[in-house]
Amino acid sequence: MSGGAAKSYDAVVVGAGHNGLICAAYLAKAGRKVLVLERRHQVGGATTTEEIYPGFQYTCCSYVVSLLRPWIIRDLDLPRYGYEILPLDSTFTPFPDGRYLMRDADPERNRRAIAAFSPRDAEVYKRFGQEMAELGRLVKPVIDDVAPDPMSRNPKELLKLARLAKGIRGQGDKWLVGNAKMMTMSAVDFLSEWFESENLIAPMSVSGIIGTFLGVRSPGTAYVLLHHYMGEIDGSYRAWGLPKGGTGAIANAIAASARDLGVEIRLEAPVDHLLLEKGVAKGVVLEGGEEIRAKAVISGVDPHRTFLKLVGEKNLDPEIAQQVKRFKMRGSSGKVNLALDGLPDFTCLPGYGPHLRGDITIAPSIDYLERAYDDAKYGAFSKRPFMDIVIPSLTDPTVAPPGKHTMSIFVQYAPYNLKEGAADWPNQREAFGDAVIDTLSEYAPNLKNHILHRQVLTPWDLEQIYGLTEGNIFHGELSLEQLAFLRPMAGWSRYKTPIDKLWMCASGTHPGGGIMGAPGALCARTMLEKRAV
Amino acid sequence: MAPSMPFDVIVIGAGPNGLAAATRLAKAGKKVLVLERAAQAGGLSARREFHPGYSVPGILHDDSLTTKKAAAALDLEKHDLRFRSVPATYVAEQGGPGILLSADAATTATEIAKRSSHDGNNYSLYRSFLSRIQPVFEKILENDPPPLTPNGWREVLGLARRGLVALKLKRKEMIELARVAPMCVADFLNEKFETPFLVEALAAPAVASTWSGPWSAGSNTNLLLRECSGGESLAGGPAALVAALVAAARANGAELRLNSAVSGIRLSGSAVSGVTLASGETIDAPIVLSSADPKQTMLRLVAPGSLPITIEEEFRRFRARGSAAKVHLALSGPLELPATGGARHEAIRIGGGHVDDLERAFDAIKYRQFSTRPNLDVRIPSVADATLAPQGHHVVSILSSYAPYTLEGGWTEEARRALGDSVIAELERHAPNVREQIVAAEVLTPLDLEQEFALTGGQIHHGEIALDQLLVLRPSASAARYKTSVPGLYLGGAGNHPGGGVRPTAGLLAAEAVLIR
Repeated sequence: MSGGAAKSYDAVVVGAGHNGLICAAYLAKAGRKVLVLERRHQVGGATTTEEIYPGFQYTCCSYVVSLLRPWIIRDLDLPRYGYEILPLDSTFTPFPDGRYLMRDADPERNRRAIAAFSPRDAEVYKRFGQEMAELGRLVKPVIDDVAPDPMSRNPKELLKLARLAKGIRGQGDKWLVGNAKMMTMSAVDFLSEWFESENLIAPMSVSGIIGTFLGVRSPGTAYVLLHHYMGEIDGSYRAWGLPKGGTGAIANAIAASARDLGVEIRLEAPVDHLLLEKGVAKGVVLEGGEEIRAKAVISGVDPHRTFLKLVGEKNLDPEIAQQVKRFKMRGSSGKVNLALDGLPDFTCLPGYGPHLRGDITIAPSIDYLERAYDDAKYGAFSKRPFMDIVIPSLTDPTVAPPGKHTMSIFVQYAPYNLKEGAADWPNQREAFGDAVIDTLSEYAPNLKNHILHRQVLTPWDLEQIYGLTEGNIFHGELSLEQLAFLRPMAGWSRYKTPIDKLWMCASGTHPGGGIMGAPGALCARTMLEKRAV
Repeated sequence: MAPSMPFDVIVIGAGPNGLAAATRLAKAGKKVLVLERAAQAGGLSARREFHPGYSVPGILHDDSLTTKKAAAALDLEKHDLRFRSVPATYVAEQGGPGILLSADAATTATEIAKRSSHDGNNYSLYRSFLSRIQPVFEKILENDPPPLTPNGWREVLGLARRGLVALKLKRKEMIELARVAPMCVADFLNEKFETPFLVEALAAPAVASTWSGPWSAGSNTNLLLRECSGGESLAGGPAALVAALVAAARANGAELRLNSAVSGIRLSGSAVSGVTLASGETIDAPIVLSSADPKQTMLRLVAPGSLPITIEEEFRRFRARGSAAKVHLALSGPLELPATGGARHEAIRIGGGHVDDLERAFDAIKYRQFSTRPNLDVRIPSVADATLAPQGHHVVSILSSYAPYTLEGGWTEEARRALGDSVIAELERHAPNVREQIVAAEVLTPLDLEQEFALTGGQIHHGEIALDQLLVLRPSASAARYKTSVPGLYLGGAGNHPGGGVRPTAGLLAAEAVLIR
């Protein structure tokens, strides 16, 4: 399809990340004419698989699927377009003392594995999972709907809140207290209420910090633990899996579905700025100068980019501009992707085994994780970082040549703002990569002999390549004051923006980041309800 | 009640909370006995002679938390309690003149504006935001926490009335409050101020004696709570509050027994029947109100095993890790800070100069070390009250952040000395002659505070201040409204809402809970 300059669209979406595509697909499904503009040569944004080294498909950025909403998968018929999730069944944590902890879907195996560290924790582990799933019942309605607005004095909203309050009241005090604690505690404090062994608490606590500029002891990190128990709510054992063909395959499936619904997608079409007439969004202007008009513009990029670049500060009310600037981005993580000609051999569990097929977590102790965070607080990458590793080629052999492997290493912390300034990242990139490989080699000494190619992505690179401001993978810190009705700004949490006819549909809006798809779908739903398109 | 019992209520502990509870109950006609383990009343608010002839008017030295409303409820002004305006705090600056923060917003804004007009402006805005939200916080701080799930029309009405005060805020202010409360104090203050040592000084009170640093989420709530509490200081300091409370309690007929440590709370069946003293003596009463810390009351004084496991669990989970040390210095002359040009300030704040220095000081306790460069909250009570030291001499009271309860290698005599040295070294950066002036010094680590004052973990607030340990969750869901799950047992100390510090509110609210029972 080729877009003629004279064509007019109901909506134009800036950015073909998964949320932009999902939003476009829903609008097209409702009969709207939608154009998606993508700066890069491929769709997906950070949901991407790329052949960085010949023969090896890297899942460059996001590497596991966590919470892609099941109703979106159904609505867009994604399995028909190649969406397939391969289970990522276990979490393996090696310890420096030669021991290891392996957790998987089998309760009896877990009990035995944990009992090696603490018989008491082994008994509690299952009950913990059940209670978490129970608590998680709150999360589901919240992430599947627009953010409630507790500040509202509008009777309709108040009624909605009253209904929510009544529902909450019905759950009883215990549930209420549990949720209040989850929202405010640190992951370590919360887990310490249940468990005594650090060998269990440390690897469990890291799910609270992924992608945030917080430590496992920072208040507000406990609630992310709930996400790990969301799978049960969605009706399957576990929410975590590896997409066949890499995460890019998800973006491709959504794009294919969107195209079948009539969405037009233009690649290598970078948007320079918003076309504003008397403060109303009328379309966009591409970097080449081409104007594209539409009844509504939907931004799939982060709030900083949306307001400070697309709209431009001079076109913003100063108070709004200040609020946008206050919205914290602060990328804190990087990625190291490897092409390997052999598998890592862990000293604590030598040879090939199921432990390599799951998630490998380098989180040996609470102090270790906390020290990694301390480095970042003062503007340096962690000398000995937290790592979350998968070897996708073991589950999905199509991503590497026969007998060879890809390894995806998510690394935290790598603060965007280095002491020496963010622009110093190119000078520190390889040292950062070395710190990652050296640390991992302490557990798997043979690793260095098998590396064919190494890609290091720092937060600065994520900004340069993927347009993520400050390299924040969630389009904005997931801290309490930036969630729900405050995401990205109070009063503007429902996808509408202070610029008339400009909407937002990506992770910088409620319910936030990860390959979840909810912001894109909820934006489309809201726009249709409000007859904005 | 049972007519055979000599007392209606036994109050454990004669700190401000215990004494306030006793006064309120005695005033309502109850026969009250207060049992205090120490030889004097006051707990952490008692005058302490740490070296012959040299005293501080309390281990706790911030005396601006007691509200006039609480004082009036207890007739304290009748018993000679006098308020005075809060003395200015001098913020020391390495190589600079520092900033004087006074209670008057306009004066302080002008002072700050000399350094940065941007900061001066924002300070005015900051203080006017605080004065807008203060009525809301005041309501919260002076009332018992609301029931989790209201039962009956009275509770629903009470809840609605609390909610009404929030309506005084404009929507914009309400949103701003919702946005800033869960933030970390460093982010909040960095949004407003560009002078690094000012940010550090304003942030420090929000994290002192907590297990959090300025970059910890939620620490801003504590800043707001602190800034919206009380308002005036006490003439004579914390000890004056204790004296007034003792007089009020006695005047109302409450009996106070010193040197009487309670070793256990006795139950008959599941209900309270009295207490046992360390001496073996037993005293009966149908109601026991404990102002000791919640962990101690529920896990030690109540015999282990007598509570349901789920309740016991609640109190075991209540975090009470001490994180600050107290250092007292006896000086042969006034504390001289050359940068102040000879002014005698009563309160001085000393930090590293940047909010990150405060965070680094916090980092230490995560790894069971004390801060090598601690943040100091310094008071010189002898400036206002010359009777605390011999003629011409002075006493200095320092709350030093941070020091862990559990120190790697243990709190040996050597470790204690090293801690004291690090505090003096920090003081010396601004008062270069202080070392020669020292007549005597006392260092109290969290472990010392635990042993001397029966404070679990040496936590001077009886429990850490954190978002999940406030209001309806302080100290636990089952005891937040002072009445515990044990019939006849009430908690009324700093471990309950509105928390610790030199103020009698928790005790007063606990007494109200006893009376409406």
